[in-house]
Amino acid sequence: MSAREFWRQAFEIMRKDLKIEGRAGEVLAITVPFGAVALLLLPLAIGTEKSMLSRIGPGMFFAVTLLFGMLVAFRQSATEEPAQRELLTLLGIDPAATFVGRVIASSLLLLGFELVLTPLDIVLYNPDPVRGWGWLIVILVLVAFGLSLVGTLAGGVTAGLRTKSTLAPLIVAPLAVPLLIASSQVIEALRLDRSILNWIVLLIAMNLALTVAGVLTARPLEETSR
Amino acid sequence: MKRSLTTLSVLALLGVGAGLYFGITAPLDEFQGVFQKIMYVHVPSAWLAYLSFGVVLVAGIGYLATKKHSWDRVAASSAEMGVFFTGVALITGMLWGRPVWGAFWDWGDARLVLTALMFIVYLGYLALRRSISDPDTRARRAAVLGIIAFVQIPLVHFSVTWWRTLHQAPTLLRPETFEGMSSNTIDPAMLRALMINLGAFTLIYLSFMVTRVWIAQMTDEIEQREARENLEIAGAGITAPNLEGHAHA
Repeated sequence: MSAREFWRQAFEIMRKDLKIEGRAGEVLAITVPFGAVALLLLPLAIGTEKSMLSRIGPGMFFAVTLLFGMLVAFRQSATEEPAQRELLTLLGIDPAATFVGRVIASSLLLLGFELVLTPLDIVLYNPDPVRGWGWLIVILVLVAFGLSLVGTLAGGVTAGLRTKSTLAPLIVAPLAVPLLIASSQVIEALRLDRSILNWIVLLIAMNLALTVAGVLTARPLEETSR
Repeated sequence: MKRSLTTLSVLALLGVGAGLYFGITAPLDEFQGVFQKIMYVHVPSAWLAYLSFGVVLVAGIGYLATKKHSWDRVAASSAEMGVFFTGVALITGMLWGRPVWGAFWDWGDARLVLTALMFIVYLGYLALRRSISDPDTRARRAAVLGIIAFVQIPLVHFSVTWWRTLHQAPTLLRPETFEGMSSNTIDPAMLRALMINLGAFTLIYLSFMVTRVWIAQMTDEIEQREARENLEIAGAGITAPNLEGHAHA
């Protein structure tokens, strides 16, 4: 298959997934408010002292993104049901293109999730201003892509299982921790005016490793889901 | 099979005996005193956890490449061993941490936290295996998860050099030297005790692995036999003949 055909297939899968989200509004109507509730509840549990909330605000944002953002990766998809999968196989769609399309769709939705929650986090926690905040955009993109990769892979290995709703988060949460650590450390490094290069490299390396693993294992995973 | 297992078990027992002897007779650490001796169990357990999860990775790739279930049995057995050794490393680490750091658990120690997360990831791996009854599906999905899960192992290992936290930096394999044994940061008698215990734990791992793979093979054979016995010879569409001559409504 040519690279052009591969990307056309991936784009179509992504378009279908986004269309389903556009109709159902699962992320916007359910997951985003769920994440907002978490940001509201946390200060009630740990205390409302302003300086402490300013300090932990960015970390809370990434923790909420990790825990609630994974729901975005597990949402209803155009490639989920056995009948849909059989149809994709009959049409000759490359499983790797399906994986890539789904990851890109989830990444875009996760980025939207993050962009809605960022101003809310700033309003609620009033985090300390940092120099080089433009890097935050890069971090948001890398975290969205990484979480989407881990979530899609976990969704793939647990597809069709009775225990999926509990097993998939159990797999995703610890595997996504490097994303949480690296993103929080970038904010900390920016606050202390230190280099953030190592953390960016860690995020990129993790995303690359997961992309390669996801593309290479897409076919065996797809064969078990039919 | 039985002979090799017996040989391995005897060697493992001898190794444990030698490890205990050299561990007890090794000199006391100047600062940590007797508590440093926990390291003769903690360090080999941590290394074997890495080895076990490395075997899960290799066996997963082996299964996906060949579709032979023997690879899957190795992966499953090694994952169980890995979880066991990670548990031992965590518990011994906490027992050492209480007198030396003053606390069983310290959030400031990156390796401790990441090792606990690694433990949970592989518990998830074992949970996934238990959730799937079809052997082919189970083997493929577990192989994929075994590959993905390994991504975090370098992070756990290098966490002590990337984050300057409470945990002691590597004594043997430092990323900047790779000279390992020639490192002079450890007393030769302590190093000898550590290496003998490492060998003994590796023998324990191998004997457990051989036993566990053998049990898994027996279980698979029993399952296959039961599946063959329960198979309907003519399919569900054919029913038993009605010998009394009464037609059923």
